[in-house]
Amino acid sequence: MPMKPSDVEVLIELFEASDWQEMHLEYQGEELFLSKSADAAGLQTGTVAIGASPALPTHASASLDTPGGALTPSPRGTIDPDRTGWEPLKAANLGTFYRAPNPEAPPYVREGSAVTPDSEVCLIEVMKLFTTIRAGLSGTVREIVARDGEMVEYGAVLMWIEPNA
Amino acid sequence: MAVSRLFVANRGEIALRVIRTAKRLGIETVLGVSAADKDGLPAQMADRAVVLGPAPAKDSYLDVNLILHAALATGCDGLHPGYGFLSEKPDLSRRCAEEGLTFIGPRPETIETMGDKLSAIAVARAAGVKTVPGTDDLPDARAAAEAAEDLGYPVVIKASAGGGGKGMFLARSPDGLETAFIEATREAEAAFGDGRLYIERFVERARHVEVQVIGDGEGNVVHFGDRDCSVQRRYQKLIEEAPVTAMPAALREALWHSAVTLCAHARYRGAGTVEFLYDVTREDFYFIEVNSRIQVEHPVTEEITGHDLIEHQISAASGGGIAVAQDALTFTGHAIEARINAEDPEAGFRPAPGRLTAWHPPAGPGIRLDSHMRPGDLVPPFYDSMVGKLIVRGESREAAIEAMLRAIGDFRIDGIATTLPLAARIIAHPDFRSNDITTRWLEDRLLPPADVA
Repeated sequence: MPMKPSDVEVLIELFEASDWQEMHLEYQGEELFLSKSADAAGLQTGTVAIGASPALPTHASASLDTPGGALTPSPRGTIDPDRTGWEPLKAANLGTFYRAPNPEAPPYVREGSAVTPDSEVCLIEVMKLFTTIRAGLSGTVREIVARDGEMVEYGAVLMWIEPNA
Repeated sequence: MAVSRLFVANRGEIALRVIRTAKRLGIETVLGVSAADKDGLPAQMADRAVVLGPAPAKDSYLDVNLILHAALATGCDGLHPGYGFLSEKPDLSRRCAEEGLTFIGPRPETIETMGDKLSAIAVARAAGVKTVPGTDDLPDARAAAEAAEDLGYPVVIKASAGGGGKGMFLARSPDGLETAFIEATREAEAAFGDGRLYIERFVERARHVEVQVIGDGEGNVVHFGDRDCSVQRRYQKLIEEAPVTAMPAALREALWHSAVTLCAHARYRGAGTVEFLYDVTREDFYFIEVNSRIQVEHPVTEEITGHDLIEHQISAASGGGIAVAQDALTFTGHAIEARINAEDPEAGFRPAPGRLTAWHPPAGPGIRLDSHMRPGDLVPPFYDSMVGKLIVRGESREAAIEAMLRAIGDFRIDGIATTLPLAARIIAHPDFRSNDITTRWLEDRLLPPADVA
């Protein structure tokens, strides 16, 4: 029985929670290589690099990359743009998504905004506790998927950012 | 307040169990899951499932804020905590009330009182319910000897400042008592800097018996009979049955009465279980604790009463009172439950998570399976190892035993090790058949010594 995307997610979570630096798994002809270092040699193909590096302290688990973004359904009634090369910014837990620090303020970012890893891009609220979410990488905000004031689930794509070349 | 949309704050078989009753009652359900459970059967059965957080329970099922936020954001007006996780955290009950959510469980004060062993015992004593007979601090060995005569041997000497077995000495006769008392004083002084001692009756042959109750919160309490859960390993129940058949009828009635009196005194609301130690030798029972939640073993009670306890829970919590009068409750036949844990009894009960390559449950009259598993499902390593409960009902205990052995024989599970083969060994054992077991039986008699090291 081949590994399913959900199996890979479970393995990634286990790995992330561990104090291991690298994991290399071969199972029925498939290979999985996980590393907490961006410099890891990795495999020739099929490398899954997970973003638990020190540069992403605020939402390490949100930057897990699952194949095809399967955790989040596409927004209703829209045609997906070509997101090749874009990075999803995902919710680290369930909460309410806010684009601005308060209702009167302008949004943190708009589509087209340039961001650095420390740029504040949105808020996630859980029972009146607000967490500021940062971009985690340098690039340009290409698409804001989550809607202001709506609940997002863990793993939901909040926005897509195109990293600087 | 009647509940129209229920948030289920749990996982696995109990989440599914709650969803099934809610559906039957026309209540919508929203299930909060972790990422590890988002493709599971409970998530599929709920009207809506929302992913709270990643797999670790502390980031999902145990996060009160996440759960409340999810319940409110999805428009729920009630919350069912299941068992385990947050079910006996007074904080969840309190905050549900603050947010206007109907908590399907007792009031926060009740959970708090029952959650603390000493305060629960104080409630029992105030209600006139018997606890393990014992003394206060004793001045000397002579006083201990007098008290032991009153209590009856064997007795156990315990350090007032102690715990965890330290400073505990068993005395079987007056001869042994004086030496034991001096020894115990010395050890208590050495271990705790406090030599005070008290003595308690020692229950050598104990059975675990319990009474299921539902209270309306106004002091009205109905009991749904008793259960026997004496087959345990390290205080974990493995086999449960209803009704209790190892106690004289008059004593069972006294047991029910004690449970009802205690819960009426506490103005208990919702489903609860009052646990007792049954002293087989002395034919006497003592209160241990109240579990202020629905319990894993509730199906055996449902099977012999024909009542849906989750429905009663929802009714009691939402102000609907108790939907059945005590006189209208009858007990028919005998039910046995075997817990199916993904553990390997051949390897020290090591957890055995993995993928179910085969899962073919038995079916037929009198067989019930409470489980959330499907063939091909993954048993995740993050949570409790229980993957389901097999419940059978028969006309008599003997018939139920035979039915359970057939059901286990027909159950095919591949891919993971489970405790079902052990359950069959237990139930087929002459001691179990003759009902001559105690809470120590499984560890002392059936399991090889290496397993219980």
